[in-house]
Amino acid sequence: MDDIDAMFSDMLQEMDLLTQSLGEEAESAPLPKPASIPAPQEMNFSIGFTDFNASLHEMEDNDLDALMADLVADISATEEKFATDRDTSKGSAPFAPIPIQPQSNFGLPASTDTSKPATSSNSIAAPPPLPASKPSKEEQEEQIKADKIKLALEKLKEAKVKKLVVKVEIMDGSSKTLMVDERQTVREVMDNLFEKTHCDCNVDWCVCETNPDLQTERGFEDHENLVEPLSTWTRDTENKVVFLEKKDKYEVFRNPQLFYLWKKDKKSQMDMKEKDKEQLLEENFCGASIIVPDLEAILYMKEDGKKSWKQRYFLLRASGLYYSPKGKTKASRDLVCLVQFDNVNVYYCKEYRNKYKAPTDHCFILKHPQIQKESQYIKYLCCDDEVTMTLWVTGIRIAKYGKQLYENYKAAVRKAAGTATWANRTIQASSSASTPSPTPKAKAANGHAPQLPKDTKGPGNQTSFPPPPPSMETLPPPPPDPMLPPPPPDPMLPPPPPAPPASTAKVNKFPPPPRFPQSSFPTPPMDDLPPPPPPPEEAELPPDFLPPPPPSFAPYGGDSLPPPPPDPITSLPPPPPGPQNFASAGGAPPPPPPPPPPPAPAPAAHPSGSVRKMPPAPPKRTTPQQTAPPGGELMSELMTAMLKKRSQQ
Amino acid sequence: MAAWDLSVSVEELGSEAPPLKVSVTSDLHIGGVILKVVEKSQIKRDWSDHALWWEQKQQWLLKPSWTLDKCGIHADARLCLTPQHKPLRLLMPNAISVRLRVCFSSPVFRTVMGICKLLNIRHPEELSLLWPVEGKKKKKDKDVEAEVYDITCSPLPSSTILKLANGMPAFYAESPETEAVYKMLAVSQPAPAPETIAKMYRTTNVMEKAQINSRWLDSSRSLLQQGVKENDKLQLRFKYYSFHDVTPQTDVVRLTQLYEQARWAILLEEIECTEEEMMVFAALQYHIGKVSLTEQFVASSPAMDDLDSALQCLEVKMEGESSADDMLETMTAPELHDYLKIFRPKRLTLKGYKQYWFTFKDTTISYYKSKEESCKEPIQQMNLKGCEVAPDVSVAGQKFCIRLLIPGAEGMNEVYLRCEHEQQYSRWMAACRLASKGKTLADSSFSSEVQSIQSFLAMQKTTPSNNTAQTDESINTHSLVSPRYQKKYKPKQLTVRILEAYQNVAQISLTDAIQKFLQIWQALPDFGLAYIVVRFKGCRKDEVLGIANNRLIRIDLSVGDVVKTWRYNTMRQWNVNWDIKQVAIEFDGNVNIAFSCVTADCKIVHEYIGGYIFMSTRGREQSDTLNEELFHKLTGGHEAL
Repeated sequence: MDDIDAMFSDMLQEMDLLTQSLGEEAESAPLPKPASIPAPQEMNFSIGFTDFNASLHEMEDNDLDALMADLVADISATEEKFATDRDTSKGSAPFAPIPIQPQSNFGLPASTDTSKPATSSNSIAAPPPLPASKPSKEEQEEQIKADKIKLALEKLKEAKVKKLVVKVEIMDGSSKTLMVDERQTVREVMDNLFEKTHCDCNVDWCVCETNPDLQTERGFEDHENLVEPLSTWTRDTENKVVFLEKKDKYEVFRNPQLFYLWKKDKKSQMDMKEKDKEQLLEENFCGASIIVPDLEAILYMKEDGKKSWKQRYFLLRASGLYYSPKGKTKASRDLVCLVQFDNVNVYYCKEYRNKYKAPTDHCFILKHPQIQKESQYIKYLCCDDEVTMTLWVTGIRIAKYGKQLYENYKAAVRKAAGTATWANRTIQASSSASTPSPTPKAKAANGHAPQLPKDTKGPGNQTSFPPPPPSMETLPPPPPDPMLPPPPPDPMLPPPPPAPPASTAKVNKFPPPPRFPQSSFPTPPMDDLPPPPPPPEEAELPPDFLPPPPPSFAPYGGDSLPPPPPDPITSLPPPPPGPQNFASAGGAPPPPPPPPPPPAPAPAAHPSGSVRKMPPAPPKRTTPQQTAPPGGELMSELMTAMLKKRSQQ
Repeated sequence: MAAWDLSVSVEELGSEAPPLKVSVTSDLHIGGVILKVVEKSQIKRDWSDHALWWEQKQQWLLKPSWTLDKCGIHADARLCLTPQHKPLRLLMPNAISVRLRVCFSSPVFRTVMGICKLLNIRHPEELSLLWPVEGKKKKKDKDVEAEVYDITCSPLPSSTILKLANGMPAFYAESPETEAVYKMLAVSQPAPAPETIAKMYRTTNVMEKAQINSRWLDSSRSLLQQGVKENDKLQLRFKYYSFHDVTPQTDVVRLTQLYEQARWAILLEEIECTEEEMMVFAALQYHIGKVSLTEQFVASSPAMDDLDSALQCLEVKMEGESSADDMLETMTAPELHDYLKIFRPKRLTLKGYKQYWFTFKDTTISYYKSKEESCKEPIQQMNLKGCEVAPDVSVAGQKFCIRLLIPGAEGMNEVYLRCEHEQQYSRWMAACRLASKGKTLADSSFSSEVQSIQSFLAMQKTTPSNNTAQTDESINTHSLVSPRYQKKYKPKQLTVRILEAYQNVAQISLTDAIQKFLQIWQALPDFGLAYIVVRFKGCRKDEVLGIANNRLIRIDLSVGDVVKTWRYNTMRQWNVNWDIKQVAIEFDGNVNIAFSCVTADCKIVHEYIGGYIFMSTRGREQSDTLNEELFHKLTGGHEAL
């Protein structure tokens, strides 16, 4: 028992830390919250909000709005998880008072039920009650307490996940703001951006980091995590994240001969047959080890700490970048290693002729990603022409990332192909996916739903259909309706003017699916949806078969659809999981922003720094926006658990 | 038909005995001749492996139904009745000799198949036999007559060989001796003494490397035809560097021997590498040597696999079901606290180490004036994520420093931490290394990291004089690098360099380490090039032809530069003019080249090219049936046609 006490005090310390980082809103997470587990959602919301207030102040309205959607997804996902956890524990805890009603605030009544199957894996948290040997009440309480502690810890873990609000500049000068979780890869972030920008999803799109101090640019590789490099930026950084097409990103896989047979004459390179290209890729990327292009050339190198550039004969090997010192041969034994690639990245540079008096403007540097300013630890190199530079930079990337690069490319091609075939449909389907539907998946991805590609959706649907048809039959013909919360949002948006327009703006951004003109809206759902029996087959068709969402997109135009949602909710307490699924896959618009007042539409200047650091209060720069909800909830839970324990003693 | 006397010598009667005379007619078939000879010899034994060898024509008479007339045998022929399988001493890639019975009558290609079957090596087409180098130093090398592992008791490769559940041919399990042989084949050998490496024959230039390739046996002719005698010594080597479908579970021997061949190629500088690469190879060798001592080769069997997967399942479950206590455990991370000394060269102080109270938590080091002040704000905090860690250690001088290069926005900050003793050093060093990779002290690899640092430190303690004793604790780092670096660095300097490379590989398993070694080897620019000195048509000087698995390269002998590369996939056809010993190749776009071979027979060049073409025809699907006919078609030359 004593060590439990010790644990608790440890935990409390942790919590203190957490609250500190949350800043002023600490008071909104009052410790004595003996109301037992189910802390009302409002609480979380307010925390969530104040938490973001500071940084939100600086944001534009529409950014805000989009962000809000993400956040709500987060929160509701967490909530939902809680609800399920509670549900599961219900069996053993008869007295656990679980007001699920708050859920309906979101207009997502189905969530509690549907999430059950998916989260069941999680329910290990609450071991099933032992029916055989009726445990004594104390034991039960013990058990419940243990579960709660565990739950709390899990939440704490979740709370530790770092998130950044990132402003991404797009080629046309506009920008998008999105929240990135530290576990998300660049690939996932890009998928997100594809949805937000509606560009073609070709493989050349790339998320880049630019550093105006060093005048560098580097495209993140698809498998990298985005948060990590961004969190090493300095507080006052001018760095930017840019989303653009870069042809050289995967050129090596389209034209491997340019890199692997670079010595051959241009003509034979151009005449390369597809079959031979494939063979080249096979040889160099599919063998037991990756073969790095055998680059060698005279490049200029800026001497450490000096202004002059010296010519050296450089060679690229899998193990690093080498040069042969004066008077020595090119034999391996005489080579001097300039740098190995484990700890450095390669960056393109701009206008180094001016900045560093480089012989040409075709320069690249190698540096540790954390170095942000001029330093003697940066290796500066300069090539005669652009082709050479691309050759070397790509070669170094191959040496550094190896097979991963090829995997990235293949994934990108799949994505691009998928998008091409499913063209407009996907936009529709996936855009909705980005809306905060509290699917179980959303929980797993911590509110980041969209990364599920179409292919996973099929099976996903199937599995989440478990208790289906019967309840569907009881439903009125247009089953989706209850689930489509379009109208509810309006009433649900009590707060100031900015919100509603913004949300419509967002909705409008998604071009109404061209294939379903508004007038014809009513029909598709009728045809496709109502027959409940065929779910499995339907599920096989990718999500796009779910046109019901479209109507929801046009809440203003599609009058033909009766919007009776509120009623079904009340009248049909156990809403079928099926529709819920539609909502998640097919895309209801962002559910209502939560009740508490959104931040004042701050006029604030928009600084160019695209990563907004945490509210100024917290001391550590590297702990950006932790989502608060878990914190508050956690504390109250812990407290109750502790009080209970004390009283027992 | 007139009968005449045929003289046949029988090996079993002894070499002194006069040949037996049997009376035959020209329409008697070979089988009948053997029968007569056996009757006349009056020896009772199993003759099933015997066949007739025609000495003058250097030819086996293997078709029992052919008549003497058809074979062209007349009264002047001298035949010899001799067993087809005879013992041979094979020098394995791991530099150990095995004595076993091999087929002397079939083409070498098939003989190698038999050998590989006995040794449990898959894909025999990648290996071949060659004459060993004639030792230049024939002074008093009697002591070198190393132990020969004898497995002549094994069944003939032509018979079916039972395999045990773990893939080991059954006959190895018959006695402890044979089991030892299998272990020798399947487990990598301890590092050789530096002198051994220095004493072995090394090629110093391309010319000498080209000489090696002149020693390959002809795959389409039999051993006896090529002058190999009973108990001769031959080398078994991987010849075609295109390793198909390597699977660690079934290829224990193959992988080990491949690793050994690669290791020796690097130690003997048969393939060149840079200093950095050499250090990685050395670190991997050290690691492999160490792990194979402890992690006895676990030949995986189906049952074991099942067990493995079951265990894994269990582990996963355990993770999933971790109790709240466990979770607390992992969340309240362990910490390190100690008084250490710190020195930052950047500040323009003299080399003075200052003592502070240090704590290590998560991936961050903080230090305070004293233990008492540790509750206050630290003097400084350093997050080690992404930093470079290097040892600065001298066991003899009792100096245990850790050099840290910590990245910051402005550049890298250099920091030295000085520990008091080995124990403290190994803990802090391990923590720094984990932190540099973003792992915390709570990571499960922490204790093994500490151990590996300690065992490596132990290396420094031993003096390099006792080269012979190669136990786990005392490996002379000179055994891990080629003579060039033995000369360049003292063992202690090498230890530091190798330790640096070692920290990246210290945690990987035996098979992973071997595969990593092979991967780095295969990524070397000169990997898999077989050199042959040739003279191109119309040129007056010798040049070098390099043959790799996907291309031919032409190298200028004087400078060593690659002049030209031709890829096989642009090759239309190649022809050999056996009379003038010239190879002519036609490539796409009307490119024709022709050359005569200087250091090797043109059959060897022909076989190399054809062999690589053959290797590339092997499909992705893993069929173990070998298309022998195709191989001979591609490599056989005029005899095969």
